[in-house]
Amino acid sequence: MAPEVSKIVRRITFVLVALATIATEIAADEQRPLLRSIGIGSIGIAIAFVLNWLVRFPEDPKRNPPLWVTILVLLAAGAPFLIEPFRRDWFNDGNPLELQMVYGLRNVALALVVFSGWLLCLRIAAITSLFLILFATASTNDTAMMVLLGLYTTCGALWLMLTYWTGLRSVFVPPEKEVNLEIQTQSNRWSWVGLGVLGLLLGLSLAVIVVGPQRTVYVLGEWLPTSGGTGETDPFARSGIGDGPEEVAGDNAQAAGMVDTEKLIEDNRNALIDAVGDTYGPPHKPNKDQERMVAAGLADVIQFHGKLPENRRPSRDFDTGRKGPQAKKSPSESQNARGVFEVQGRTPLHVRLVVYEKYDVSKNRWLEGRRPTNRLLEEEGNDWMRLGHLREADWYSSVERHQLKVADLKSNIVPTPASLTRFKIRRVDRADYYEWDFEGVLAIAGRGRTPSGVIVYTDSVTFNWQNLPESSLMTISPSKNPAHQLNHIPEEIRPQIEQIAQQWAGHLPQGPRQIEAIINQLRSGYEHNREISSPEDHPHPVLWFLTESRTGPDYLFASSATFLLRALGYQTRLCLGYYASPDSYDPKSGHTPVKANDLHFWTEVKSRDGHWLVVETTPGYEMLTPEIPLREKILNTLSQMGSWLLGHALSVMIIVLIVLALWLRRREIWDFILCQLWSWFPSRTWEKQVFRTLKLLEKRGRWTGHARPNQTTPPRWMRQLTPPPSQSDGQDWNQLARMAEWACYAPQMASPWSIDEVHAVCRSVLSCCSLRYWRKIPPLSATGEWK
Amino acid sequence: MNRAIMEPNSSPPMTSLAQISYLRNHLNQALRGKPQVIEFVMACLLAQGHLLLEDLPGLGKTTLAKALAQAVGGQFSRVQCTPDLLPGDITGFSVFNQKTREFDFLPGPVFSDVLLADEINRTTPRTQSALLEAMAERQVTIDNVQHTLSPTFFVIATQNPVEHHGTYPLPEAQLDRFAMKLSIGYPERNDELSLLAAAVGDSPNKKNSSELLNKQALQTLQNQVIRVAVEPKVQGYLVDLARVTRSHPKVNLGLSPRGLLIWQRVSQAWAFLKERPFVTPDDIQQVAVPVLSVRLGLVSDQAQKVIEQILASIPVPV
Repeated sequence: MAPEVSKIVRRITFVLVALATIATEIAADEQRPLLRSIGIGSIGIAIAFVLNWLVRFPEDPKRNPPLWVTILVLLAAGAPFLIEPFRRDWFNDGNPLELQMVYGLRNVALALVVFSGWLLCLRIAAITSLFLILFATASTNDTAMMVLLGLYTTCGALWLMLTYWTGLRSVFVPPEKEVNLEIQTQSNRWSWVGLGVLGLLLGLSLAVIVVGPQRTVYVLGEWLPTSGGTGETDPFARSGIGDGPEEVAGDNAQAAGMVDTEKLIEDNRNALIDAVGDTYGPPHKPNKDQERMVAAGLADVIQFHGKLPENRRPSRDFDTGRKGPQAKKSPSESQNARGVFEVQGRTPLHVRLVVYEKYDVSKNRWLEGRRPTNRLLEEEGNDWMRLGHLREADWYSSVERHQLKVADLKSNIVPTPASLTRFKIRRVDRADYYEWDFEGVLAIAGRGRTPSGVIVYTDSVTFNWQNLPESSLMTISPSKNPAHQLNHIPEEIRPQIEQIAQQWAGHLPQGPRQIEAIINQLRSGYEHNREISSPEDHPHPVLWFLTESRTGPDYLFASSATFLLRALGYQTRLCLGYYASPDSYDPKSGHTPVKANDLHFWTEVKSRDGHWLVVETTPGYEMLTPEIPLREKILNTLSQMGSWLLGHALSVMIIVLIVLALWLRRREIWDFILCQLWSWFPSRTWEKQVFRTLKLLEKRGRWTGHARPNQTTPPRWMRQLTPPPSQSDGQDWNQLARMAEWACYAPQMASPWSIDEVHAVCRSVLSCCSLRYWRKIPPLSATGEWK
Repeated sequence: MNRAIMEPNSSPPMTSLAQISYLRNHLNQALRGKPQVIEFVMACLLAQGHLLLEDLPGLGKTTLAKALAQAVGGQFSRVQCTPDLLPGDITGFSVFNQKTREFDFLPGPVFSDVLLADEINRTTPRTQSALLEAMAERQVTIDNVQHTLSPTFFVIATQNPVEHHGTYPLPEAQLDRFAMKLSIGYPERNDELSLLAAAVGDSPNKKNSSELLNKQALQTLQNQVIRVAVEPKVQGYLVDLARVTRSHPKVNLGLSPRGLLIWQRVSQAWAFLKERPFVTPDDIQQVAVPVLSVRLGLVSDQAQKVIEQILASIPVPV
């Protein structure tokens, strides 16, 4: 036994790990009583002690521990990470990331000390305990830590002394004795684990190459605990640690950091309507005789005495007969340089800008909606405002928290998610500081534009169409009030619209199922293409889209859905707004910047509790759905996999059978390929030909439990095996053994056998000693003896 | 290298093969039921090594030695080692001749072709050491005069492993001069039956004067053994094994370079006996136990296991 693994060294290592474990428990939760921390730590120590007592010591402690030890240690290291999601989900309790990492290291130390019979495990256990004690010392000022540190230092010094003195014995070993004695009974082969690790490394390398080093650094950075943050995004964050990157207030109010700043910028340069024109192309210009004058409201003129804010300007009706966006000759960098606002929180997110309710079929224009008159904001304190007109409903999922930081917004709207329930802007603590531009479109009263740097904290609800009850939506019979703005369908297109709506969803009960059907029809049967526009001579772009082209921009999707749902009796409206896409997520800042051209149209349907629910019908765009718990995700995935497998049962079964057959016959197949290669490409010299034949025979022997032991020469190994029965006197077999002897160990000289003779003997042996033959003969032991 | 010996189907030459076959048969007649021991003895003889037979009394040590001496045809001497045996009794000494008024040298038993040193561990280390020069260099120095011994000088020493009273264990330097140590062991039942049957009517004093080999023939065979090829990778294997003996925890004395040379030579002889003009790792492994057990300072009952461990620790070259 190696001197380092003496009993006293092992015991001291165990004490070191035990002290480090208790110190880790104390540092992990300073609020916990000391005795309780010691008790929790002692449980792990006791388990390690019992396991250590049960594990047999290896005969040679200097050898590497076997694979199962490595697997157990890795499992112990990963256990906190594997348990954590379930713990959070089921017990509503959890640890921040850095504590999970430390607990993983603690488990590694305990697992290694269990296997301290192996020298490598013992040494790594001691080093890991040192890291743990350093972590604990740096994390807490508990007085008990000083005691533990003193004990650890004493034991550590003793450990160093003992390992030093026992290690000195090796100094006196004469140099000629410095030879490793390692008994090898099997030849070195590529292990499956080694190949797996190699494949994993290659895969990771390829992934790094594909995604790029910068993104890799960001992803890895997400795994590491960081300091800073507010504890808002991670409820289990520990004093702000592990709660994302630090957000700081910069000098620039348009900085990406989600920190409130006093530096507000007043600017009225660009307008929202410019961005709409850039995105969807210029509007159709009617003939002069059809032109009309729309005057601004008298009150607005009196109030501002100057240029109106953009959301108050007239003629913001939306023309659906547009020609599509014009190709830019030289795209302006400033337009895409930064977002109009940034979102922190889950995406996708729909942020309303303009609401359209009525369609003017003569001009093919959507007319903007009415301004609400009785929408209340209730002050909740701490600057929070609750939307008072919403009624309680129990069909929504958990509340989503977002932060939206205004960077360069062209109007005075307050960017908020669609299903908003409450919001906050710091120091804007009175309800009359806000006003409703449209229903669900919040704006800052009396300002030309929302200042850059403003952070809007929002709480909104999410929902799934599948989970909404049938009575959750506001419905009205089209025949009862056809002139109602939210139920209006132009008479010119009403029959066709109603026919399509009935065809798609008429057979379903009124409610969310019908809406889902419309969504599915549009998303699956139509194609999104912003470059396509309806012909100028076509009177009804929506009908052209629905019945002829089946492809078009998002406003035609949204317009179609709006009319179709109205035809089914729902109160709907068309919305233009910003779409915060998950694809735009910036891992560096952890935000999703929303640019000026991230404009998007969607439909909204009114629910009974007062919310306008997003109906996303455009392919490629999604709506924010409730966050699914891990357990449900796993079940969903399994369910989907099961469904898919059932759906493709025949093909899956055929593939599985083929793979199984190939796997079961892999050795025969591989042997056949090698034999064919041997036959097609013979070696130039007789020695090489004999070597290749030997390799093939050894491979067959290894596959059938007749592997040549490392200390046995090939000729001797062959002579230990019975010659094939088809060769009555074993002449070729013995001849090949003799050839092998000469090929392996005879000095260079003229060929004792002709190459043809060698070929004939080798071919004869290979054909007679098939894999089937090898399987019939009893296996050899490692030393070459018959079992 | 002699071209004849390199041919796969014709080496060694027929005359050599016949001589070896006759020698093998003769020794098997003398010591029944021990063909493996006979093979080792022949390998030791052809490798120009010396043999230490360690076994119980009455198992045929002396019989084997005498049969060997008779077969190789040279002069045979026997020394019964006792505590009062002096070095001069082995090497010889000078006496004053009153007639010629000069000192005449009277050669001792070492001036023979085969020397049987019976129960060598019963004599004193001083006397044992008298054999050192003779065994290693095939010469003795007496009164500052070097006397060359027979080129086929071959020592067969015997010792009793059981009786330790009044014995002097051979020192390591002495043991290292032996090529191998063998134990004959008890014969099988059938062999003992044939032994008894052959003894009926056979005079114990009967002398068979038939000579199978003469000195020159033996020298020729030994020279052929020297020429048996050893590939560098096989020599590397041999060196690796030797280095392992120096680091094995149960080995008191690692293999010396002289021991390594002897191991190679015995392997050559073993390959020669197998009618093969080159050495394989199998040859090295097969002679490992008798060659190593005499020089690693191993306890007899552990020697076999430790040597097997050593052999298992190094993969054979292919």
